[in-house]
Amino acid sequence: MQSQYVLLLSLVVFLPALGALVLLLFPKEKPEAIKLFSLVVTVLVFLLTVYMAVPSPEGVATPRFELGAAGMQDAFSIDWIPSFNIFYFMGIDGISFTLVLLTSFLSMLAMGASWNITKHVKAYCILYLLLETGMIGVFMALDFFLFYVFWEVMLLPMYFLIGVWGGPRREYAAIKFFLYTLVGSVLMLIAILILYFNSDLRALAAQSDLPGGSRAVAWDDLHLHADVTRAVREPGDNPIHTFNILALSKMGQHTDLFDAELLWGRSLQWWAFVLLFIGFAIKIPIVPLHTWLPDAHVEAPTPISMILAGILLKMGGYGIIRICYPICPDAAYDLAYVVTGIGVLSMVYGAFAALAQKDFKRLVAYSSVSHMGYVLLGIGVWTATASTNYNPDYWAMGMNGAMFQMIAHGISSAGMFFMVGVIYDRVHHRNLDEFGGLFGRSPLYSGLAFGIFFAGLGLPGLCGFIGEFFVTLSVWSYSKAMAVVAAATVILTAAYILWTLQRVYLGAEYRGPHGDRITPITGREVAIAAPLLAFAIWFGVLPQSLFNYMTPSVNKTVQELADWTRDVKESGQRGASRLSINQAPTASTEGGAKRVASRGQR
Amino acid sequence: MDTATFLPILLGLAWLLPLASFALIVLVGPRMGRAGVMASYVATGAILGSLVASVVALGIWVFSSPAEASGPRGEHGAVASAPHEATAGGHAGEAKEHAGDHASAAEHQAQAGPPRHYTGDWYTLGRFGALAITVSYYIDALTIGMFAMVTAIATCIHFYSIGYMHDELDEVVDHEVTLSDGRHLHRPGRFHRFFQYMSLFSFSMLGLVVAGNVAMVFVFWELVGICSYFLIGFYIERKSATNAANKAFIVNRIGDFGMIVGMMALWASLGTFAFGDVDGRQGIFSQVRSAENGYRLEAPAGMVRASAAELAAEVVRDHPRNPAAAESEILARVVSWREQGHGYWLLVVAGIGIFCGCVGKSAQFPLHVWLPDAMEGPTPVSALVHSATMVAAGVYLVGRFYPVFAPEVLLVIAVIGAITLLLAASIAITAVDIKRVLAYSTVSQLGYMMLALGLGGWAAGLFHLITHAFFKSLLFLCSGSVIHACHTNDITRMGGLRKIMPWTAYTMLVGCLAIIGAPLFSGFFSKDAIIAQALSFWNLNPTPGGVLFAVAAGGAAVTAFYMFRLWFMTFTGEPRDRHVHEHAHESPPIMYVPLVVLAVFAVAVGWPWLGVVSLLEQARPAGELGQGLLLPGLVYPDEHASHAADVHLLATLVASATALGGFLLAVLFYGVRLLDPAEARQQFRPLYNLLWNKWHFDELYQVLFVRPVHLAAGAVAAFDKGVIDGLIHGSARWTRRLADFDDLIDRYLVDQSVNVFAAWTWSLGNSLRSVQTGRLRQYVMLIVIGTVALTVLINFASAR
Repeated sequence: MQSQYVLLLSLVVFLPALGALVLLLFPKEKPEAIKLFSLVVTVLVFLLTVYMAVPSPEGVATPRFELGAAGMQDAFSIDWIPSFNIFYFMGIDGISFTLVLLTSFLSMLAMGASWNITKHVKAYCILYLLLETGMIGVFMALDFFLFYVFWEVMLLPMYFLIGVWGGPRREYAAIKFFLYTLVGSVLMLIAILILYFNSDLRALAAQSDLPGGSRAVAWDDLHLHADVTRAVREPGDNPIHTFNILALSKMGQHTDLFDAELLWGRSLQWWAFVLLFIGFAIKIPIVPLHTWLPDAHVEAPTPISMILAGILLKMGGYGIIRICYPICPDAAYDLAYVVTGIGVLSMVYGAFAALAQKDFKRLVAYSSVSHMGYVLLGIGVWTATASTNYNPDYWAMGMNGAMFQMIAHGISSAGMFFMVGVIYDRVHHRNLDEFGGLFGRSPLYSGLAFGIFFAGLGLPGLCGFIGEFFVTLSVWSYSKAMAVVAAATVILTAAYILWTLQRVYLGAEYRGPHGDRITPITGREVAIAAPLLAFAIWFGVLPQSLFNYMTPSVNKTVQELADWTRDVKESGQRGASRLSINQAPTASTEGGAKRVASRGQR
Repeated sequence: MDTATFLPILLGLAWLLPLASFALIVLVGPRMGRAGVMASYVATGAILGSLVASVVALGIWVFSSPAEASGPRGEHGAVASAPHEATAGGHAGEAKEHAGDHASAAEHQAQAGPPRHYTGDWYTLGRFGALAITVSYYIDALTIGMFAMVTAIATCIHFYSIGYMHDELDEVVDHEVTLSDGRHLHRPGRFHRFFQYMSLFSFSMLGLVVAGNVAMVFVFWELVGICSYFLIGFYIERKSATNAANKAFIVNRIGDFGMIVGMMALWASLGTFAFGDVDGRQGIFSQVRSAENGYRLEAPAGMVRASAAELAAEVVRDHPRNPAAAESEILARVVSWREQGHGYWLLVVAGIGIFCGCVGKSAQFPLHVWLPDAMEGPTPVSALVHSATMVAAGVYLVGRFYPVFAPEVLLVIAVIGAITLLLAASIAITAVDIKRVLAYSTVSQLGYMMLALGLGGWAAGLFHLITHAFFKSLLFLCSGSVIHACHTNDITRMGGLRKIMPWTAYTMLVGCLAIIGAPLFSGFFSKDAIIAQALSFWNLNPTPGGVLFAVAAGGAAVTAFYMFRLWFMTFTGEPRDRHVHEHAHESPPIMYVPLVVLAVFAVAVGWPWLGVVSLLEQARPAGELGQGLLLPGLVYPDEHASHAADVHLLATLVASATALGGFLLAVLFYGVRLLDPAEARQQFRPLYNLLWNKWHFDELYQVLFVRPVHLAAGAVAAFDKGVIDGLIHGSARWTRRLADFDDLIDRYLVDQSVNVFAAWTWSLGNSLRSVQTGRLRQYVMLIVIGTVALTVLINFASAR
């Protein structure tokens, strides 16, 4: 069975990279063939993910995604750099798999949107395919080191794709993007190392269902390599470090390994959280770390804008859900108001900034800032506290809404950027004051654009509504003030989108240059826009079809954190409760117990 | 198949037929016959199907289980009104005896029970633990009545539109749009697109009415909003139309903002949006008015708990690691927390929040500004959107949500309604655009409905909603017929049209008589009920009641004045503009037949023996309105008190007298012209200017909101560019400076020292050059000396 997992997941991740290798053999003079081949590769990857998404037939064991299962699926762990406990460790659950689907889908469409690229087509396609490998790898990696590698793999192609194929200020935008992201990944690397060197699988084993443990953690769910498990079961005093994200999460929640003070009275996990959060938040992006985004979007070619807005921003949200919160719950609890406050700030700030833009693409870029604020807000609504008797439902709703919002935004923002690209390809400008009358000139294009922009506006019946609505509804029981501000954002969103539509599509006549070049939308363009709109409608009308995939895993994450809040954080007597979890403290955890006792006194 | 399964299917069908029509027209609209002419048949057929289904549903409702339908509920009105009056009287005299009254009230209400309804889920949008957001239905007599009303009017308007929109079948020359080269705009017709929007609109409105939970109401609420955006902005080339469309949607969103806040308050505390009980889970209605409590309004446990979150947290902390015990302890304490006043304010916030949405949708003060501008759309749209459906949605929702409104919220509703009523009526006096007069009259009449609902007149307000829908759509369609004939909206250019277009003139006269409440016309009965309710409210609440009653009565006079001003100026007297008069013509039958149909309804729908009121009564929410908790002096009478003979007679007299007064004044000014309007205008110049400029609300909002928002947006964008990017660029600059400095150190310190070292080596080498003489003897000499020296050194070293 394991070999099937290895084959399938590796294929999904590395098929694009393989394709890039094959592309090296292609002659440079045949750009059409190169594009076609790349498209075929992205289509194949998409079909593979679709195959995984289709439920298995009754009673047949397949490596497909199993609906309703909350834990990791298809997980496997293979030796990579065993001396540092680094493994080729991948797997999927509802949180990552939906994002993988989004990635393969958008990569396919964006490749279709790349047909207008004429400069260095071969290099473009190779970089593009490498980028896809990096993106899918980030979502599937469960080894923190592997995650980091994929994270960096994705960064470089993006830098070149913006810097070589971009608009007039491409170098500036590419360097800005690169430096911002690099700062983020350096901070992340520091946090990874902090966590690694303080992790200890022996301490975790004491809380697990291994012999002698307290049975709080199911050891098999960590999907550790057999060698590691063997090493843990052998007696010894030296700590066994790990990069296993699942194990690190359990350590964050069930041991006090990350509770030691590191600097300025803050615990180790507080610092790890802050470093990781900044790293991920740059990607989301949050205010005030967002200014790379408008520049990168404006300068990037249309398909790369689609990828940037549709997928890259999601990695930030994914990282926070998968890594920040589970591994550093104590810090997340203490900083919950900071996280949600930043979310609300981004929503309002992005909307205001969008309202003031004159450049069509910049406007869409700022709308992304605003929409991604919902994601942060939904993740952060920590309502499972004593005042609700640790009821996790509203938080689950918020985090599910945030996940949905990520997918929905992936669809609507990619669509919006594509719509801008379609008109830019014809008239070669993006000045909002120099459009108008496009509805009369190109009704089909305008109709599709209206649909997609309304999805961004959050109109019911389209995907944007569900995410925004669910997130907003979940906020009240967390913070009334934030809820009111979040609700008020709908007015600004309506204002900037409707005003844009009016200036671009409505009106009597086109007011800008190159009016004679406004030709009807082509079949290829329809083939890209129509699926986006179709999914926007589908997810807007039948959101349950998407929730079915993600909800069990999201709920599990929330439930674990809610339990942690109840049993550890707010149990009043932290040290004592930890000990009470340790019903049978073993030799290896005695040191831990002492540390806990000292913390309890502090 | 029993009623409980059949009705949802029937109404679901009525609801989805227009959606099917919309989808069909979207996909193949332009190819439907010449210029999409078939689209109109598809849309009209669909709405006709909806009408049939609705009427069948109405029939089933009326004839099914009559015992249930007219049993306890029907008797309720007749039997229970007497004791209720006594209760109400007691309130007025000694409000403090309230507690004593409850026993009898509760007992009596317990017999009444909640109205007959059917509710259930269609499908789920999302489910998280105990929380679920679903698409569901809630069908009671109000739903049935609204379905019949909406589909009937929509059908008439669809037929009418086939005639009205026929210009759109060919290429259209839009005389209101001048292109940059000075020509008028020529564009292809958009006949099918109009019907596509109409179908979507009908679907949205019916979905709103059938909705079984607040979230679904909100979904269709927004869809209605976006349809009105499309329809108001139908002439997309006209700047004024697209501006009006944006304004309508954004102003509505401001109301929606309040509605979302209200919804959040409900959701976070009750964990459900459902109106009724679905699958054993308590809905909102039974949570706020539980049967055990005699259907009296009280803060439900969820709200009390959410409000007393700190206290609940303490309880939980006292029961560490035992959530179940903590839960039962919290539930046990809810009663005492409620007595401390916890939770009630959440109820008020929820009520006012939901009402905010209604303020936006029903164009109430202060969000009334969008509706008059919305007249930019084609006239049939105005008739549908702005009389019977979209604006009616707000009033409908107040009616639907009635059990949840606390007395304080009802007072807010009444006050907002009263302000709107007077404000809009006053503006209508001076307006000269035929559609704008009607628009302001709509706003004013909606104010009436809100006032009625806010005064406790549940049936009165909704009754007026239904009668108004018929006569206002009639009035709009008549105005459309006039505009169609004259190609202008300006009533100062009309006059004497009565002879040319008699069908239009006399059906419009019927509409005018209905709206001013002339005896035996539908408006008479509904307005009468409102004024009687105001009187009944006044009896219990002297201060606010008196003012509100005066507004209700005075509004009737103003209504009569401006409506007949409109009618006289349009249809009687000498033609003021020859050109317009000569081109005017009566509209084709496809347009005036719907007028006649609607005129019949406008007269008859209010007749008591037709049973509209008794149908509504079947949906009357259980429980009395009671007394304010925050405002203890506020006491609500039971609506049946207004049916008492003395109250009713006085109300009829007042209503008729004021309406007659307004009518006579209009006759004096515009009918027989004994008074000169110009003179009056001169005398009241400042007042006239104020009204002419619509109380300057547009300018005020421009200064208060629009400009500040744009300023803030500009400031944010500048902050982004200046401060944030400035910091980034600054740090980049400093990094480069540091690098330059580093470079200097490299060049002058490091390199220099290396160079110095190199120079030394060089000079050393130079100085050693003198040794390189090339003479063999000297070299041998040096080798010998070297060897000897080495030997000596090695010897010394090994010796140690």
